Amino acid sequence: MGKQYEIPVGAQHIALLEPLHFKFTTENEKIINTDANVYYVHRGIELACCSKFKFRQVSFVVGRVCGLCSISHTTAYSQVAEKLLKIEIPRRAKYLRMLIIELDRIHSHLLCLSHVAENSGFEALFMKTMQYREFSMELLEAVCGNRIQYDFSIVGGVSRDLKPQVADSIISRLKTFMPQLDELMDIYKHNWTLSLKNKGVGAITKQQAMELNLVGPFARAAGLAVDVRNETEDLLPWKEVGFEMVTETAGDVYSRNMIRLRELYVSIRIVNNIINGLPEGDLITETKAFPEGEATVRLEAPRGELFYYAKGNKTQVLERLKIKAPTFSNVAGMVKGFEGNEYGSAPAIIASYDPCLSCTAR
Amino acid sequence: MKTFFKALGNLVKKPVTTKYPFEPTFKPDDYRGLIGFEESLCIWCRRCEAVCPPGAIVFSQDMEGKQTYHYNRAVCIYCGECVRACPKEGALFQTAEPAPCALKEENINNAWNKLYPEAIESRELYAAEKKRKAAEKAAADKAAAAAKKESEDNSGATA
Repeated sequence: MGKQYEIPVGAQHIALLEPLHFKFTTENEKIINTDANVYYVHRGIELACCSKFKFRQVSFVVGRVCGLCSISHTTAYSQVAEKLLKIEIPRRAKYLRMLIIELDRIHSHLLCLSHVAENSGFEALFMKTMQYREFSMELLEAVCGNRIQYDFSIVGGVSRDLKPQVADSIISRLKTFMPQLDELMDIYKHNWTLSLKNKGVGAITKQQAMELNLVGPFARAAGLAVDVRNETEDLLPWKEVGFEMVTETAGDVYSRNMIRLRELYVSIRIVNNIINGLPEGDLITETKAFPEGEATVRLEAPRGELFYYAKGNKTQVLERLKIKAPTFSNVAGMVKGFEGNEYGSAPAIIASYDPCLSCTAR
Repeated sequence: MKTFFKALGNLVKKPVTTKYPFEPTFKPDDYRGLIGFEESLCIWCRRCEAVCPPGAIVFSQDMEGKQTYHYNRAVCIYCGECVRACPKEGALFQTAEPAPCALKEENINNAWNKLYPEAIESRELYAAEKKRKAAEKAAADKAAAAAKKESEDNSGATA
């Protein structure tokens, strides 16, 4: 047995995208044990949502929980509030929500892929992926009026309509993106240099994924078929717009990349289907009711299952709001995934988990 | 290997980025920009103030009851909730103009933090004054009615 060293990484570190702390115990450059600490950016949003803000304003507050999956948070909150108000939203609003969630997924997955490339030491691919990602940001800006904070879902429906010329530009931009995505797929799949850092690294088995309750692309890469879009039909009709489950078996960084790339194809198909079959109708269901009772909602954010719980007491201000972000579910799996890997692979593994700490700590 | 040659080819390509401060970047037609206010159309219902999530709109009121609209672009999140809540078409509207940067001379945060409670207080003062005046008027009316009644009684007695 060699000498053991403890190496702290974070909360601020060049390889980290978010404030997250890992303490690796290494022996001969191999990681044998890991400690994780994730609560560095706690902002007290849950308490603010239950004290300072009225329930209609909360959908804008929870949008600020996370920059990358802003729309997932606002939609999940809007859905939970609609359950408390006992209203059904128009079909067009449901479709528009799905459209933005999928466009958001495209940009989030491309961001994660680019960071995996960067942390694996492939800077050129990072820039290429970021270059190709720009179209999705511009489309989101064209639909929602803002690049990051969409403020698109509001309690009762959506805030803006999809203009015909914007819909046309989405279709045409996706068409130009398809060959670019094929090119990215080719590089991530066949590049030998990248495979050295990605194949067989940070592997999680299906059994472990099941035991550790992993969610999102992290679990699907290990072969565990969990996707909220596959399980719920009542709030957003995912299967109607052509959702299809994507799974891999290896559970390593490479298969996580593959999951994300293959999900992009699914997302593009969903976006095309939504725009081609967008139903006519209102955007919002107006009501003067106050939230009452308890409700929970699950929604598939880019990183996995997002869970919202809310309790209302017939006043303007909610009694309790609880947010469980996908990264929180994956922390146990993250710690497990490092075991037996080289310390030098740690940055790529961290990036492949796609951690979102501001969601987790709120 | 293919990637390597592509990377070499990229050396002679034009950059994909735009020279931002010198060239305009992409901006959609209905960009969520500054909130505009048309005073002549406003019906002073203060609904925009009630719905604004960050509290970027506040109305102050002077002693004559005239209200003034105050808006802070540095606090605003440009969600457009005030425009949706406005019952009068055109009184509040969202422009496509991005907010200019706040300068130090503007003292935008401290001035707003001072103005906000003052505006709320000015309305409370006006409401209290109105209440006091109403009470005074009611008392005066009551006194007048009593005096009238008394004079009527007196005239009845003399008759």
